[in-house]
Amino acid sequence: MPDEIDPRLEPIREKEGAALMPDRWKVDYLASMGELSRFYIELKENARLMGTRCPACGSVYFWPRSWCHDCYVDCEWVEMPPRGTITIFGRVDISLSEMRTEVPFYQGGVLLEGARYPVIAILKPADPAVLRAGLPVQAEFLPPEERTGRTRDFYFVPEE
Amino acid sequence: MNRVAVVGAGNTAFKARHMDKTFPRLAYEAVRDCLEDAGASPGDVESAVYGIYNDFFEHCAMPDHHVHYLLGLARRPAVRVTTGGATGGYAVRAAFAEVASGLHDVVLVVGVEKVADVSNVFEMVKSITFAADPFFEAHYHGSPAGSYGGAILWHMENYGTTEEDMARVVVKNKGNARNNPDAQSPMELTVEDVLASPTVIYPLKILDHCLNSEGAAAILLAGEEAAGRFARDPVWITGIGASTESGRQAERDDPGSSLFPAVRRSAVAAYAMAGIEDPRSAVKVAEVYDAFSGVEICLYEEFGLCGWGEGARFLREGSASMGGSNPVNPSGGLIGGEHAIGATGVYQVAEVARQVRGVAGARQVPGADIGIAQSMGGARGAYSVTVVLEG
Repeated sequence: MPDEIDPRLEPIREKEGAALMPDRWKVDYLASMGELSRFYIELKENARLMGTRCPACGSVYFWPRSWCHDCYVDCEWVEMPPRGTITIFGRVDISLSEMRTEVPFYQGGVLLEGARYPVIAILKPADPAVLRAGLPVQAEFLPPEERTGRTRDFYFVPEE
Repeated sequence: MNRVAVVGAGNTAFKARHMDKTFPRLAYEAVRDCLEDAGASPGDVESAVYGIYNDFFEHCAMPDHHVHYLLGLARRPAVRVTTGGATGGYAVRAAFAEVASGLHDVVLVVGVEKVADVSNVFEMVKSITFAADPFFEAHYHGSPAGSYGGAILWHMENYGTTEEDMARVVVKNKGNARNNPDAQSPMELTVEDVLASPTVIYPLKILDHCLNSEGAAAILLAGEEAAGRFARDPVWITGIGASTESGRQAERDDPGSSLFPAVRRSAVAAYAMAGIEDPRSAVKVAEVYDAFSGVEICLYEEFGLCGWGEGARFLREGSASMGGSNPVNPSGGLIGGEHAIGATGVYQVAEVARQVRGVAGARQVPGADIGIAQSMGGARGAYSVTVVLEG
């Protein structure tokens, strides 16, 4: 598709007596990750998974939260072990945008060791038949030149 | 707290595409029919609540104020509600609060959505995924089906629910839609037809998915004194419950047996307010949020129409079918009837009000004196609103 043609410059089309108005909303961002910034920097630069811990109740959050919603106090950064267990999983057969070239792929809930909640993550088992709730998994990271600081930089495989 | 009645209801037909109508026009047609049903005029409306879900669909960041004046309601208060698939339900709740508190006596609720102006289905689904957690999970470019698939798989593994059971929901709801002249997708299907349709996210096939619809629905709410001014016998909202969970579907504290804790909380709160202790005997009809076929099976349990793990049996025994003990989605639901997202929760309340009034035509459930309407939205049903209606 010739994406370089801006729909906002195209004439109307007519269909079933209706005028169809081509248009596009395009908004670019440079979004500050604010108090969460260390998570992305450690992920991209050092392939580390950073979580946070509440000094009051001890809850460990991954994804990190900068404050504990139960205790209303600030959390401190902790490095997470790159290991956990699968809680739920699913196979995606049709997907969108960047992921479209990779279907089918697997996604699931992964509870990192010590964390209070699971996260949704990408699963890349060599043999998908082994996937089950409770399966121990370990994180693997894209090579440094491919990492962008997004959560797609890591995925989980069955623990060796 | 003042008692609140539904005194009028209207909606457009629901279609994949209303090529010949803009979203303000769809809203207008639903409001016109609603006011006519109530024997009311625009001058009776003191305040309006708009349920319009997604800015990307309407192609406008503040669509409500481009509808309000065209309905002849300028210089009266209006607010927009947007809570995913529960947009319509939460819009009804916001309007209910205005009447129950005594702030206003007559409030209009309008739900409208135009989902097919985005250029194709991938763009449409992409705009839905813009609701994902922007800090971590949006990076996966996931789909809405994925957020429900995990719950359905859990139900299959732990309770033995099968793909055939889910297909039975599709056969039922597409079949019910044949009794609804406004429905988008009436079909006579077999379980085998559903199982043969292509998989999107295992175990969900194309036919297990809800529709994408264009259309609008409107209801008119009035307090007890004002209700007497209108043509119809009032249908009372005797219970309304709502709950909003974590937007990250995995980050929820242990909800016990509930797979959709927001739904459970909204149902328990609505039942308590309405004084319903045994929903299986009290609730004669339900319009619930069958976003995916397997979800409806889970919802039977969340609503206490059967015990935990008994949803598939409840369905197989015909309890949820027309003629069963607790017919669910006589309109066809989201799978057979419509899913014009912001309109859905409003339409469900309109449908249950018609059932309670006994004017639901070929889809009427005999003796439906109490019914529930429920919509939900966000990742894996993060939002839910349950409304109890009584004659």
